[in-house]
Amino acid sequence: MVNVFAVPVFFICFRECLECSIIVSVLLAFLKQTLGPETDAKIRKKLVRQIWVGIALGILICLIIGAGVIGTFYTVGANAFESAENIWEGAFALLASVIITLMGAALLRVSKLQDKWKAKITRVLETKDSNVIGKGRVKIWCEKYSMFILPFVTVLREGIEAVLFIAGVGVGLPATSFPLAVICGLGAGVLVGYLIYRGGNTTSLQLFLVLSTCFLYLVAAGLFSKGVWDLEQNAWVKLAGEGAAEAGDGPGSYDIRKSVWHVNCCSPLENGSGGWGIFNSLFGWQNSATYGSVISYNLYWIFVIIGFLALGFKEKNGRWPFMKAKPEAEVERGAESEASDEASMGEKKDGGVVGTTAVREISE
Amino acid sequence: MLPLSTFLFPVSLLSTLAFCATVTYDFDVSWVYANPDGLQTRPVIGINGQWPVPTIRVTKGDQLVVNVKNSLGNQTTSIHFHGLYQNGTTHMDGPTQVSQCAIQPGESFTYNTTVDQPGTYWYHSHVRGQYPDGLRGPLIVTDPEDPHKSLYDEELVLSFSDWYHDSMTDLLASFINIANPSGAEPVPDSALVNETQNLGVKVQPGKTYMIRMVNVGAFAAQYVWFEDHTMRVVEVDGIYTEPTDADMIYLAAAQRYSVLITAKNSTEQNFAFVGSMDQDLFDTVPATLNPNVTGWLVYDDNKDKPAPKTLDSFEPFDDFSLVPQDKEDLYDHVDHTIQLDMKMDNLDDGANYAFFNDVTWIAPKVPTLYTVLSTGANATNPLIYGSNTNQFVLQANEVVEIILNNDDPGKHPFHLHGHAFQVIHRSDEDSGFYNPTNTPPFPRTPMRRDTVLVHPNANMVLRFRSDNPGVWLFHCHIEWHVASGLIATIIESPLDIQRQLVGSIPRDHLDACRTARVPIAGNAAGNTRDLLDLTGENSAPGYLPGGFTARGVVALVFSCGVAVLGMGVIGGYGMAPIKAKTG
Repeated sequence: MVNVFAVPVFFICFRECLECSIIVSVLLAFLKQTLGPETDAKIRKKLVRQIWVGIALGILICLIIGAGVIGTFYTVGANAFESAENIWEGAFALLASVIITLMGAALLRVSKLQDKWKAKITRVLETKDSNVIGKGRVKIWCEKYSMFILPFVTVLREGIEAVLFIAGVGVGLPATSFPLAVICGLGAGVLVGYLIYRGGNTTSLQLFLVLSTCFLYLVAAGLFSKGVWDLEQNAWVKLAGEGAAEAGDGPGSYDIRKSVWHVNCCSPLENGSGGWGIFNSLFGWQNSATYGSVISYNLYWIFVIIGFLALGFKEKNGRWPFMKAKPEAEVERGAESEASDEASMGEKKDGGVVGTTAVREISE
Repeated sequence: MLPLSTFLFPVSLLSTLAFCATVTYDFDVSWVYANPDGLQTRPVIGINGQWPVPTIRVTKGDQLVVNVKNSLGNQTTSIHFHGLYQNGTTHMDGPTQVSQCAIQPGESFTYNTTVDQPGTYWYHSHVRGQYPDGLRGPLIVTDPEDPHKSLYDEELVLSFSDWYHDSMTDLLASFINIANPSGAEPVPDSALVNETQNLGVKVQPGKTYMIRMVNVGAFAAQYVWFEDHTMRVVEVDGIYTEPTDADMIYLAAAQRYSVLITAKNSTEQNFAFVGSMDQDLFDTVPATLNPNVTGWLVYDDNKDKPAPKTLDSFEPFDDFSLVPQDKEDLYDHVDHTIQLDMKMDNLDDGANYAFFNDVTWIAPKVPTLYTVLSTGANATNPLIYGSNTNQFVLQANEVVEIILNNDDPGKHPFHLHGHAFQVIHRSDEDSGFYNPTNTPPFPRTPMRRDTVLVHPNANMVLRFRSDNPGVWLFHCHIEWHVASGLIATIIESPLDIQRQLVGSIPRDHLDACRTARVPIAGNAAGNTRDLLDLTGENSAPGYLPGGFTARGVVALVFSCGVAVLGMGVIGGYGMAPIKAKTG
């Protein structure tokens, strides 16, 4: 399976695509709302078309950049890569892990994301409005401009991000494992984005997001550990040379002095050990764990735990832990009401006047 | 290039007629510089300030006395006379911590033995990894009653060997090292014949020569052939054989062959002969390595010496088919079987070791012979010889069978001290372990020798009669594998050894131990009271754990636990209602 479907790649595509979908859905919803039925259907059509053109152009440029990166990677960098494979893999894995960690939290707050973008769009449009003397044509022209530039920039940004992540996660994965994972990831992202657009069952959506985020952090923890392992392995291969490579997964394939456990099986590097390869790319499994890989894995999780506890604390109390306390902290737990959530979120936004339930209204 | 006469008459100690003459050599062993391959000058171990070291020559029946003085300054030493049975003199055999203590720098030591066997032998240091630094030379026992005497006119000696530019001390340090987990043996830098290259051997047309060939190398076997001359094998490892034709011989480390070569009748042309190291043994072959050493049968000094022709493939003679000249029958009733399964593996210091039956040889604290001599009736109990010596105690006059299973993809030349053995079965490459129900019938008059090659991932069966009391090593003669522990100890009729030697170990032998502060009594751990108490014995690094250890389980549980906890926290955060602060 690992040869056909690279799970981390799937998740990255899914996540990036979801972000795009949300932004696009916000835009579309915004158009539908502000340019209600009373507006010229022609203009609306035009604007909608521009959104899609922006998306399409963004995707196109992403593809070109992606192709360029891959091309450079496999041609110019091929030799450098070969000779220092472990360093590359290690560095990319660490980088990807850090980035996934930072963006993972945002995935849990997709509704926040919606609000953020609604506010952004409004701001953009309103500044444009205020700078312009006349209305009508100019306004339409500006809106036209925004409707193109926003999705374009978004898609471009997310896309480049995705390309870089995939490059990071995918180093060492067989090329055949990419296409299906990318397609599925994009498909799932669009689907979930559409579900959000449609409003669907937000609780189960939230559950879905939590599960996928947990998964993403498992991947990131594994990547972090694997990154450290790769760097250590690089040092070992330098020391032991040919012998290390010849040893397969047996004695001599690892540095006994740093070993925490070693089982002479289940190596993710051996061909035909599909399951362990998936285990490796998902959770950083090593049949030969080192002090470095184990400690880094645990430290990573401790860091994530502290980070999320702090985030939760802040959301609950409006301040970071160990900062000066504000007297009363609202504690609200239990039954979730998306609507009330969104309402409160909406209020929070500075100057945000976009209808907080816009998405739902439209979907009805 | 050295004149051949050096090798024909190395020492002017020709005992003429005397039966039971005493031949004495005084060897002052010290470092000298040499550059045998013209590529690098290096310190080598010479004798009496000379290198190559002299050839020892005795006549069958002579008493051989070698007075060794160790003037190396920085290393201990010893001398083993490879192939001599040492009947009644097992304490003169030479391996340190087995039959003697190493000769400390500045000390002297005398070897004194009766040589009652004819043929081609050699002598070398039997201190860990030392002889490839130069302390190795032929030992020729001439036989007034040689059955092949009428077949040749003259005798020549050719030693073949590999050669390293670095010292064995340095090479061993990097060989048994965590940085060499596969146990890749250092690859030689050159091949030598008579410790030189491009050797000219003057021959006269029409004459027949008996060429005694010895591989005195550390590691590499050599394919040896003489262009346009057929060899007739008449002796292997001191055992006369029925003359048998061979075009090419595979001369493994420590093996000897005497072959007859009849010179052509014309002097029109000189002919090359080649020793070509078996590169299958090498882990990686450096591009700069010349695996061949060339010499010439020189008929006419004025004619040129042609470069050897290139061969398509090596097709060496199979020594298994040889028939001993005395036609000794197969020992068909076996009293004692020793099975040795050999493999290479890593221990928990990360280095690669060699094993017989999962035990890698580690020198005992007390030389094994001295344990035999100091333990009375307990000497027959194998346990007292320690946990790392692969010891087997034999009774007198048993027919002993050694089944050797080579669970390693390398070729290994195995040598038994104190005996020549019948080679009754040797399987082809990759045939696995010995299966007695599925073997061809044994030869009726099997070939005998003292060093025999086992093929990769294959097996062989050797038989001998335990008629020679002593402590004898059975080991691979690749010096790297000796260092990494591919050694078994055979303790043959220990009570007879006691009868022969208790109280008669020479003073200088005991002094060697005293100087080195090596105990000379007790079990392998030096314990004289409770001989079964091996506390404090020398031992090998531990085995590698087979899988998860307590440490690994704790680490894995912790990792899984923290991951679950982490996901719990994420879930808690993610499912909590998104709440805004007001104000």
